[in-house]
Amino acid sequence: MVNMNNKRKIKNDVILAVIVIAIAATGLLLLNVFKTEGAFAVVKLDGKETERYPLSVNTEVVIETENDGKNTLVIEDGKAFIKDATCPDKICEGHSKISFKGETIVCLPHKVVIEIVADDSDKELDVVV
Amino acid sequence: MLFSYNIPCFLDMKRKSLSILLVIVLLASQLSLLSSCNTVKEKQKFSEYYFDYFDTVTTITGYTETEEEFKSICEEIKAELNEYHKLYNIYLRYDGMNNICVINDVTDGKHNVVKVDKKIIDLLLYSKKMYSLTDGKINVAMGSVLSIWHNYRNRGLSDPANAELPPIDKLEEAKKHTDFSKVEINKENNTVFLSDPEMTLDVGAIAKGYAVERIAEYLINKGITDFLLNVGGNVRTIGMGKDNKPWKVGIENPDTSKQEEIPHIEYLKMSDMSLVTSGCYQRFYEVNGKNYHHIIDPVTLYPGEKYLSVSVLTKDSGLGDALSTSLFLMDVEEGKKIVDSLENVEVMWVMPDGEQIYTDGFKNYTFEYIKEF
Repeated sequence: MVNMNNKRKIKNDVILAVIVIAIAATGLLLLNVFKTEGAFAVVKLDGKETERYPLSVNTEVVIETENDGKNTLVIEDGKAFIKDATCPDKICEGHSKISFKGETIVCLPHKVVIEIVADDSDKELDVVV
Repeated sequence: MLFSYNIPCFLDMKRKSLSILLVIVLLASQLSLLSSCNTVKEKQKFSEYYFDYFDTVTTITGYTETEEEFKSICEEIKAELNEYHKLYNIYLRYDGMNNICVINDVTDGKHNVVKVDKKIIDLLLYSKKMYSLTDGKINVAMGSVLSIWHNYRNRGLSDPANAELPPIDKLEEAKKHTDFSKVEINKENNTVFLSDPEMTLDVGAIAKGYAVERIAEYLINKGITDFLLNVGGNVRTIGMGKDNKPWKVGIENPDTSKQEEIPHIEYLKMSDMSLVTSGCYQRFYEVNGKNYHHIIDPVTLYPGEKYLSVSVLTKDSGLGDALSTSLFLMDVEEGKKIVDSLENVEVMWVMPDGEQIYTDGFKNYTFEYIKEF
């Protein structure tokens, strides 16, 4: 009888452990689904987001803007910059590489903004001027 | 049936209820975690960009409960920006509106007496105040000189190989028509008349900051808070940023050659304050390998070369705009005298070698920023 009780206890413990682990695992899974990972370079054309590229992946992409404008966005070693642009002032091309949350590169003639965004964090800057 | 119900022992009863309690607590905590995004009205951050005003990019950032709320406030801000942009425009005319461009017009060899919106009168009266505060460094009657630079710069940008500097005698000739006392402002009748026919107004050094301050005032009067307006680097914060704490603002390194290692030279925490930076890196063109920027000294008629940038921290964005431009053209000592005559104005001067000089209270707003990820 004592033996039976013990067995039952062990069985119940196992069931409890499985339930606890299952709940915890579901929680973790849900958290991960709703979480955005790392930082991105967001491309905005005339204020509207068109693309976002993770800073963790090296990329080179040509952004086509209004009036047949082109800005070549490069992501390299976690930093984003404009390698080449057909705009007249080339201010975006001259801008240093950005990687801080809140930093932007603006091409006024082409109405392009590259902005660094990331998952919510206390360290985020609201604006860099 | 997960648990056996026929365990008579008291200890087992206790274990059982504890286990059930544990599961309930776990489930409850997860439920609250999941629903927190929906039920608790936490303010969220939104931002929008505009390209149509003051020849620069505008960013509006705000913390609101819903996106609809943010968008509707943005629409109001946009309408205000649009109006100030048109009224203070020196290059374009708009149907049915007497703006600054109309004041600058000449018919039969002279300017006309132009009846204008009170917003223009107020701007010009403020400009007059700034003219005397800055010992003439802010002079909106310098249009004749500034338009020469504007044209040479635009030509230089579209054809860099043939970029040229304006000849000094041409600038000196234009300077003869920059006497601010010839701007006749009649605030009873809301009229403006430029009694020198060769004179034109250029409000570029002041209009943007002044307009931003008026819009901030408009928002505050409507009880709107937790917004940040950034019109081409002219930053005005209203209320608080994330988590109801001050906004965090970085200042770019004006030495573009060193931006790789040091992207920002200072980080500020600010609420209900403005930050305006005048820098040699913002608008310029290149002639024979040298950059010529847009802040023109009314005495030398050439771009000021004393600093890489000057940042002004104060409540009023109009004052910040006028001060950052004028301090850029003065020695530190001379600038400090003006700043000391005012309240709650803090300044950072960045010397050509990168050295940073501050007024006493500037560091009260700075913080250490550690980049993460």
